[in-house]
Amino acid sequence: MSDEYIDCSGLKCPEPVMKAREALASARGPFTVLVDNETARDNVARFARTSGCEVHVNKALGGFLLKITPGAEMPLETSGSQVECSTGKGTVVLISSDEIGRGERELGVALMKSFLYASAEADEAPSRIVFMNTGVRLVTESDETAAHVKALEDRGAEVLVCGTCLDFYGLKDRLKAGLVSNMYDIQSALIGAYNVVSI
Amino acid sequence: MGPGDLERILKKLPEETAPELLSSVRSGEDAGVYLLREGLALVQTVDFFPPMVDDPYTFGQITAANALSDIYAMGGRPLTALNIVAYPRALDLDVLEEILLGGHDKIHEAGAVVAGGHTIEDEELKYGMCVTGVVDPAKITTISGAKAGDTLVLTKPVGTGILATALKAGLVAEEDIGDAIASMVALNAAAADVLSRHRVSACTDVTGFGLAGHLFEMISAGGVSAELWASEVPLFRRSLEMLSMGMSTEGQSRNKSYVTTVEVLTGGEDELLLDCLFDPQTSGGLLAAVDSSDAASALAELQSGPCPAAAAVGTVLAGPEPRLVIRHGRDFHERRIH
Repeated sequence: MSDEYIDCSGLKCPEPVMKAREALASARGPFTVLVDNETARDNVARFARTSGCEVHVNKALGGFLLKITPGAEMPLETSGSQVECSTGKGTVVLISSDEIGRGERELGVALMKSFLYASAEADEAPSRIVFMNTGVRLVTESDETAAHVKALEDRGAEVLVCGTCLDFYGLKDRLKAGLVSNMYDIQSALIGAYNVVSI
Repeated sequence: MGPGDLERILKKLPEETAPELLSSVRSGEDAGVYLLREGLALVQTVDFFPPMVDDPYTFGQITAANALSDIYAMGGRPLTALNIVAYPRALDLDVLEEILLGGHDKIHEAGAVVAGGHTIEDEELKYGMCVTGVVDPAKITTISGAKAGDTLVLTKPVGTGILATALKAGLVAEEDIGDAIASMVALNAAAADVLSRHRVSACTDVTGFGLAGHLFEMISAGGVSAELWASEVPLFRRSLEMLSMGMSTEGQSRNKSYVTTVEVLTGGEDELLLDCLFDPQTSGGLLAAVDSSDAASALAELQSGPCPAAAAVGTVLAGPEPRLVIRHGRDFHERRIH
């Protein structure tokens, strides 16, 4: 059986959410919603997540495709048992340099570019990405890497950029992706994460 | 239409230079002010929109309260109002009667009169009002003039845009959002009166551009910056819940793109709260920059009187760049590591 597909292009909010809500009420499996604007994308994703569904957003011709997988009856228990996690969900990526590894800088920088590109193209986006120290250059000085990060943001990843680091390198005015953040929030993002990947 | 688009168009129009015109369209002033003679100026405003509630009488009241709001924001007194109606042929005329009655009653509550109006046929129902009042030019509270150190006082909660969307989607009924409806119906007259007895350097009413959008207009006009404390902003009861169900409008996104120099220091946890700050409001409260030494007494008077939900929601910082900083709370940053 193929998944149900709901075309919400041309519909104004709150109609896409109402359509998704109808579909969810009768859904027996995953379904897909096409929306043609960012507001509808964010609203449908928010609605579905609040309703305990898993949501994957992909860019599509003329808008965004949201794959919505209804959850179990109730959201998983919050205490005691560990939440089952697949790759991207609940993962925080910490990037504290503008290059990957120690070696020839040229290689390190190229690897980082390629990592961000691959992340932007991957099936699952991390839930958060934190940029610190020279990592902040990736969302300020370089248009290319900032575009990959922006794409990840568009897919729902939250991007935190260390404000102290931006200040230190004098890059505050050049932020091209993400939100300026501080150590308090970064600390709680890292400690509260299910999974932290340090690049 | 969004604040950014409007600003671009207004910039292209020839500038009005008559010396009697005391207000400036370009700075996002709430109402037009025209000097008649020494000590007396005319203050005019117009507003109209499609219904945000089902009950026609309530819709009429909200529309009038919303239109009057601009006059109060400038420290004026309303005198006359004109109705503007776009009405579908198919709709029962009793509905129109109820709408106009709601408008009439609210205008009379404000001590003004309805002097006439104009009606056209249209596919979608819209109702609005043009209100004229007077103001002493020496006592005008404009949108510019906020100074560093002022406390930002908001007189009504926010969230009407979210709740109106939820109402449209059928997720709530009118009786579920009684607090928001009562607030939209309420005049800003008494709040303006309290503020007039304190040192207020700038004032505006919170409507379509949302709290953050109108604050951004205020700091742009005043050449200052501001800090907004997200957790201090009063919200209507069901707003956060409805927002988490995807009940927001494109207006909210437009308002976000208008506030260009915003720095969000709340971290990820306040995402819903942040969106509320950009939620377009109907008949929202007054946002005033109050001299910090007067803020406590102004707030006490508002809270014990006409505006129980009134709150200090931020502070004005030095300019000249209109930079808006959104923090979680008033003292939150002080215990943060930097």
